[in-house]
Amino acid sequence: MSTNLSVVEKIKNKSDGLRGTIIQSLEDQLTGAIREDDQSLIKHHGMYQQDDRDQREERSIKKLEWLYSFMIRLRLPGGFLTPTQWINMHHIAGEHSTGVIKITTRQTVQLHGILKSHLKPTLKAFAIQRLDSIAACGDVNRNVICAAHPRQSKIHEEVFNYADKISTMALPKTNAYYEIWLDREPLINKEEEKDPLYQDRYLPRKFKIAIAIPPNNDVDVLTNDIGLIAVIENDQLKGFNIAIGGGLGTTHGNTQTYPRLGTVIGFTDTEEKTLKAVYEIIAVQRDFGNRSDRKNARLKYTIDRMGIFNFKKEVEKRCGFQLGTERPFSFNERTDYFGWHQNHEGKWYFTLFIENGRIADEKVAIKTALYEIALTGKANFRFTANQKLIIADIDPGDKHEIEQILNQFHLIEHTENASPMRRNSIACVAMNTCPLALAEGQRYLPLLISKIEPLLAKYSLLNDPISIRMTGCPNGCGRPYTAEIGLIGTSYGHYNLHLGGDRLGLRLNSKKYDGINEDQVLEILDKLFDQYSKRLNKDVTFGDFIHSHPTALS
Amino acid sequence: MLSEGKLRSLNEFVDKLSREELIWINGYLSGKLNTNNLADTHPASGVTPKKFTILYGTDTGNSKKLAVEFAGVSKRDGAKVKVASMDTYKAEDLVHETSLCIIISTHGDGDPPPAAKKFFDTLMSIDLPLTKLEFSVLALGDSSYPYFCKAGEDIAHRLTALGAKASLSIQKCDVDYQNDATHWFLNYLKSMTVPSANQLSTGPLKKIISGKKYYKGIVKANINLNGRGSNKQTHHIEITTDELIDYEAGDALGVLPKNKKTVLETIFNTVHIDSNLRIPYKGLSFTLDSLFTNKLNICHLKESQVQKYAELSGHSIPKVRMDLLDLVRIYPIKPLAFVDFTAYLNELAPRLYSVCSSPSVREKEIHILVSKNNFRVDEEIRYGLCSDMLSDYASGTAIEFYIHKNKSFHLPSEDTDIIMIGPGTGIAPMRAFIEERDTSGASGKNWLIFGEQHFTSDFFYQSEIQQYVTTGILNRVDLAWSRDTEKKVYVQQKMLEQGKDIYEWIRNGANIYVSGSRTPMSEDVEKALVEIIYTYSGKSAPESEEYWNELKEAGIYRADVY
Repeated sequence: MSTNLSVVEKIKNKSDGLRGTIIQSLEDQLTGAIREDDQSLIKHHGMYQQDDRDQREERSIKKLEWLYSFMIRLRLPGGFLTPTQWINMHHIAGEHSTGVIKITTRQTVQLHGILKSHLKPTLKAFAIQRLDSIAACGDVNRNVICAAHPRQSKIHEEVFNYADKISTMALPKTNAYYEIWLDREPLINKEEEKDPLYQDRYLPRKFKIAIAIPPNNDVDVLTNDIGLIAVIENDQLKGFNIAIGGGLGTTHGNTQTYPRLGTVIGFTDTEEKTLKAVYEIIAVQRDFGNRSDRKNARLKYTIDRMGIFNFKKEVEKRCGFQLGTERPFSFNERTDYFGWHQNHEGKWYFTLFIENGRIADEKVAIKTALYEIALTGKANFRFTANQKLIIADIDPGDKHEIEQILNQFHLIEHTENASPMRRNSIACVAMNTCPLALAEGQRYLPLLISKIEPLLAKYSLLNDPISIRMTGCPNGCGRPYTAEIGLIGTSYGHYNLHLGGDRLGLRLNSKKYDGINEDQVLEILDKLFDQYSKRLNKDVTFGDFIHSHPTALS
Repeated sequence: MLSEGKLRSLNEFVDKLSREELIWINGYLSGKLNTNNLADTHPASGVTPKKFTILYGTDTGNSKKLAVEFAGVSKRDGAKVKVASMDTYKAEDLVHETSLCIIISTHGDGDPPPAAKKFFDTLMSIDLPLTKLEFSVLALGDSSYPYFCKAGEDIAHRLTALGAKASLSIQKCDVDYQNDATHWFLNYLKSMTVPSANQLSTGPLKKIISGKKYYKGIVKANINLNGRGSNKQTHHIEITTDELIDYEAGDALGVLPKNKKTVLETIFNTVHIDSNLRIPYKGLSFTLDSLFTNKLNICHLKESQVQKYAELSGHSIPKVRMDLLDLVRIYPIKPLAFVDFTAYLNELAPRLYSVCSSPSVREKEIHILVSKNNFRVDEEIRYGLCSDMLSDYASGTAIEFYIHKNKSFHLPSEDTDIIMIGPGTGIAPMRAFIEERDTSGASGKNWLIFGEQHFTSDFFYQSEIQQYVTTGILNRVDLAWSRDTEKKVYVQQKMLEQGKDIYEWIRNGANIYVSGSRTPMSEDVEKALVEIIYTYSGKSAPESEEYWNELKEAGIYRADVY
């Protein structure tokens, strides 16, 4: 549409299938960084260039360049790893990265601190495990997420397969990943990598897809560009309601940006139709999305500009069929089921609390424990969209053995003893590696919660699972806009305080305080908890209470 | 006013131009008029080169990118240009500048980039006499913010208030800065006052004739160049003086170590002797304290000295080398015998450090690189004393030093190519050479081969080297890291890998400089060179050996090893 293409658009266009000059960048021995244009391209290969921001000033003085390293994020539709894959992940993390395995809010894991010279060895090691990071970041369809909990429904496996099918359908066709990182031979016939979906321009911006199984909205389905909501009748999957245009990222000070929840536009009743509809929604965004201003490029802005009716019409025209009428659906929770549970086949699984998804040996030796569990070969590993881990698919006869390991490393009490607020909390990575961060995220939220818990205790609210989420910038990785308490970094030590979101992910919160510090946050929460604890109807949640009592804030 | 011919050419030329080009030329011509030296229309070859500094303040890297790009343009234009970043540049040093090009971005509420904040704050708060300074400011910003380009404006105002003269008015650039910035810089370059011969006469060094002249200096900066996680501690020390220092790239700096106060106190207390006691030494009278602090070596005493101590203290001591501190602790000695023993101690010897700066860049300043763990004294490696002392020197510490001329290790003629092999602290003289060649505009090509343990923590002068590669001063750089991969890689392996090109350079008359440890590094390097000759020249092994010896005799191989 627009002729004034943004810089990134030009880079993608002339990149020769996302190759750019990545190979030359890797060969440059003088720097741990890669060339500027290539930094946009490697995102499409699932990695970001970062640097240790704690060391910037000191290294400049030392006449050293910034300490550049890379974050690699896996493409893991539905978030599943076998025990063998876990064992190898454990070793790869130790050998090539900081060692910490970080579970993301998109049901996958990422490794940080990988030096340029370690990129290829890392990706080769993953490839042996049939794992890749293709399209885990960048202007393409990212990791498809899916309701995580096996106990949810008999059709869990069926729905889970959709994540894989959609992911495969929306993979870029370029061979670049294999050539650059795995040293495969270049294609002789370039026609083989012709990409009808992404063409040579990819999408105007990132694209996220989630699948939810009501009544649990654990994936925060409406925060995605496309949200598929399973419709189940008599334990049979009847199809999906399709919601479009969700997205959370904003830019401080730019009033043209805003968070938006998805709008349901219809229903599809067969796999073929569902996949076709998803494909064409992506294609319409490809053709109509804003390619001159990246801050206004997500699907949500395209839809609001075109109008939801026109957008739907365009999708239906391309599909060659009309979308069915939206089926009624409802969510009554948005949570992970911590502790031991059994699915419909009688298999056991244990959902483990991992604060902000950081798998390491710190207060408790989570990393070693999971390694030991993987060595038994008797459990699979599933990630939730809330940075937690499910040790899954355990035969009843093996439960005892797994439980012993969990006990040996105190992981059961670790999970049980965490307050409901802490268990449901989410924080993004932020400092010291994320280049976008304005303030702390995962390094700070645990400390802040430790200061909020006494306030909760003061008003006997400690068992209230009030949702709190923190991000170091307004881009929304930790979904702070759909929390009851959202903290969004504005500058070091300062956050916007968002309040009034519901507990189910069906209503956005809104900004109530600008750039306040810790003391102010605690003072405000103290006052609000006091009033909230005195409400008459105890079924009203904190977010709903604030929403319906705006005067509580004054 | 113009002759018919000139007018016709002008019209023909102008007709071909786009609107943008016309606007640019308009600016170019007004800049040209501003210089007030229209008579001097062709500052071509033979004219004194323009000399200036590009100082940038960056956060996202755009200002730095422009600075490096501009420096490249200027060098190709024959100008002498220095690029400095505000995160390391000291505002006080502005008094040494005559022409300054500033590139700075603006953030948040009109603030400078965090990395430039210290420079900015200092500039705003101290009074500097800058009447001799000519400057221009390129301000980057985002016009969607209220304080568009404010940091740039603030700097321009401040410099004007301090007496400096703006040679071009400030150029503010929005997010799509590239075209405006390039045009502005070309204007800047053209509009610059070419320094007259008069002004430049303060430039070159006035040579000071001296034998072993001691200079009084002040430590200006002391930086451990190794990043976190390194096994090394290597200090880049900058020393300033009030007078010009007579030295050349390749020379060494000599400094007398002092014994540590704490060690001496322990010795005196153990011996039960008053440190203020005056005793004669070589015909003069000293207090024990000053004699031991400044004159006598107490470390790693020779076997004969240890045996003398045994005799005077009445103990039987094994034939080993020991420190005096250990001797007095283990083998008590009477105060009088201790005084007698002083006569057998050697005087402290000066330590030499390769200078890592060029006098052409900084006139009253000299830099050295000190590895905290080893140094050389008369070809002998010793540990501790002097490097310890220097590493601990804070800025502001007074230091006395002299220049040790290293005539066999100076740069060759300007058009000779050089290959510099300087792993570890061996990079010190190479940095001086590169600085020298950068300012002199020497036409010879430069190839640096450096090695250390780790890329991320031990790459000495990395950001400078990157800049020299970008501006084209360094034609090639090869790096060897011995602890980054399972296989240890050293400089000689890198040389063998690049053997074909090294041989090509040698055949074209390149000189080879080696600095660093003698054993095994410089021996391995020589072996590698002979092997390269053997592999690529078609000569037999003995012939290659002989050819190498001829080259050495001809002086193309220069080593400063220890």
